[in-house]
Amino acid sequence: MSSDGNKKQFWKRNAAKVPGSIQHVYGAQHPPFDPLLHANLIKAGNKPPPATPGKPKKATTFQEFESITSDAWDVGDDDDELLAMAAQNLNIEVVMETANKVIENHSKQQERQRLDDTTELEQREEDTQEEVAEEEEEGEDEEYEDDRVEEGDVTSPEVSFASQSSPYTDGRLVKSHSEAPIGSPKDAASEHAALHRQRSLPHRPPVIPLVARMADQNTSGTPAMTEREASRLDKFKQLLAGPNTDLEELRKLSWSGIPRQVRPITWKLLSGYLPANAERRESVLQRKRQEYFGFIQQYYDSRNDEHHQDTYRQIHIDIPRMSPESLVLQPKVTEIFERILFIWAIRHPASGYVQGINDLVTPFFVVYVFEYIEEEVENFDVSSLQEEALRNIEADSFWCMSKLLDGIQDNYTFAQPGIQRKVKALEELVSRIDESVHRHMQQYEVEYLQFAFRWMNNLLMRELPLRCTIRLWDTYQAEPEGFSHFHLYVCAAFLVRWRKEILEERDFQGLMILLQNLPTMHWGNEEVSVLLAEAYRLKFAFADAPNHYKR
Amino acid sequence: MAKQYDVLFRLLLLGDSGVGKTCLLCRFTDNEFHPSHISTIGVDFKMKTLVIDGIKVRIQIWDTAGQERYQTITKQYYRRAQGIFLVYDITSERSFQHIMKWASDVDEYAPSKVQKILVGNKSDEVDKRQVATEQGVKLAKAYGMDFFETSAFTNHNITETFTRLAEQVLAANKKDLDLLQMSMNDELDLAALEEEEGLCNSAAGDQGKGCWC
Repeated sequence: MSSDGNKKQFWKRNAAKVPGSIQHVYGAQHPPFDPLLHANLIKAGNKPPPATPGKPKKATTFQEFESITSDAWDVGDDDDELLAMAAQNLNIEVVMETANKVIENHSKQQERQRLDDTTELEQREEDTQEEVAEEEEEGEDEEYEDDRVEEGDVTSPEVSFASQSSPYTDGRLVKSHSEAPIGSPKDAASEHAALHRQRSLPHRPPVIPLVARMADQNTSGTPAMTEREASRLDKFKQLLAGPNTDLEELRKLSWSGIPRQVRPITWKLLSGYLPANAERRESVLQRKRQEYFGFIQQYYDSRNDEHHQDTYRQIHIDIPRMSPESLVLQPKVTEIFERILFIWAIRHPASGYVQGINDLVTPFFVVYVFEYIEEEVENFDVSSLQEEALRNIEADSFWCMSKLLDGIQDNYTFAQPGIQRKVKALEELVSRIDESVHRHMQQYEVEYLQFAFRWMNNLLMRELPLRCTIRLWDTYQAEPEGFSHFHLYVCAAFLVRWRKEILEERDFQGLMILLQNLPTMHWGNEEVSVLLAEAYRLKFAFADAPNHYKR
Repeated sequence: MAKQYDVLFRLLLLGDSGVGKTCLLCRFTDNEFHPSHISTIGVDFKMKTLVIDGIKVRIQIWDTAGQERYQTITKQYYRRAQGIFLVYDITSERSFQHIMKWASDVDEYAPSKVQKILVGNKSDEVDKRQVATEQGVKLAKAYGMDFFETSAFTNHNITETFTRLAEQVLAANKKDLDLLQMSMNDELDLAALEEEEGLCNSAAGDQGKGCWC
């Protein structure tokens, strides 16, 4: 994935931090080293590679990747394509340049446009070939390659990514499958995707209202829906219409975001709550909803009993103070959340209710509410929904949240071992992917646990606006072990995303305040897509080598 | 460049979930009050600089999650604190009773010379009061701590409480402070001093029960 020089750094192990050692201290007695000098160093080290359209240069870090493509995000709005590029490390400049030309000339010269499109296609093909070739070379360098493949994600349905990255696999396979989760290049090209997207770009308001837009912006079903969005929606609808939904296909399609209109059903399918067989769905839903309300009847009155009152009390004080960004503060919703969380907690005594779990109900609840209303309405009054609909939303949210938590329960059991493990893994991973950020934090004695604990405990929900979390969860549910494993790579990409801001901070306080209040308020789909693309790249790079981020 | 501060130390807010630790802190650092502050996850961080006896004191304040499950995480912060607020809610008998548990955890995990102060928050909610002021006074006396009733809502006794604990920490470290001011007349970091003394230098990230030699 990276050039040789970079690779050494990439895999290098830092000397382990020895517990109990005396470390130097931030503050006046140990002033930070010369800021001017440091600034120059950063500059020199971070120069974007020169544009050489003929010779594709690999993006090896997120920063480079970002710097090469920063202009691209403004123009294009295309998840599939961006992700494909990130995964493939295509020569973005060439692609974008071509695409831009196409747009310029499109209205005047239909003929020439077609030509350019072909060029773009050919360029992609070339790049892909090169990618394959390099992967093969790398494979010869790495003795441990086959071990890693075996340790790959064997049980997951998307095993293919890990094993197909193996250098011993047939080249063609590598090519086609590595793109699989993000939409095949054929798709993109045949739809004239880049073209339409860039022409019919919806103009984003400079400030995205915090409260109103729960679902994502691109697929909100407004008249401004682009042809590409419409075509994606069609694909989802087709896939969902059959008697047996191909979950594998649904995952692939969902990875780069689910249109709002089909998100509720897609989430229910991907989480395993609904069966792939369409005929069985209604009966399953009925049974599950009955079962849930059976629990309520059976257990909910016990919430004030001696052995449950602590649990209920904690839930009861946490719900009213949840984020005002969501609908949660409405009394009707508060009651629903309390029931969901209380029932879950007493049915999972090993963890019980832990603060933060309450946040995890919100995305499900919000998405499932929008199943029953046509349009997104600001400050939608939930109590205007039919009783029946509310009951369904409640039960569905409960079961889907339960499925999610099944995969990450060790985050919430005694001593929270899952979180401690993941924070360590994050530290290890960041030390490999961005040594300067890692060293900078070490220098000022910032510990990963001090900021990343919450990232793990609340799945980044406290760091991102709700609309971004919902988009993130599209991918988490499409990924094998999305919440439990892929999240780690997302966190790493998220941290490194702020490298510039991090490196500018010159003391512990500044760093902590930055890291605990990252400015994501205006984030939308684009930012999440870039984050996910980078996370995917990291996962791809480390999937074969799980030991490389463990001590 | 003017010195930003002369001395730096760490304070820690402890107490049951919902007693108003985060509200106290927000009132103190930003003079803001939000009636329903979102629950703290793990540990949050804020800081403020005070001037005490002409000394610029920068305090880092660590705000902890009150729920029991988080204590494995939050205990890792005890050993690096020079001062601790033990906070209860005057409208919650339960939170007052739990002060004993919090205090014994502090004895177990914090450095021996850590300074403590007892805080009964929500003093504005007179109608709901369950813990009499005298009870607070008595408990504080038993532990040898100072005691304040505060209201983050009305901004009652907030600055006083934080300043008092800061003064106590300063006084407790007076010897070191004088020594350092004589020798280099520069900013100093009490945390650093203690670590150099080998009092509390276990690397964090270990389990809660790390050694402190």
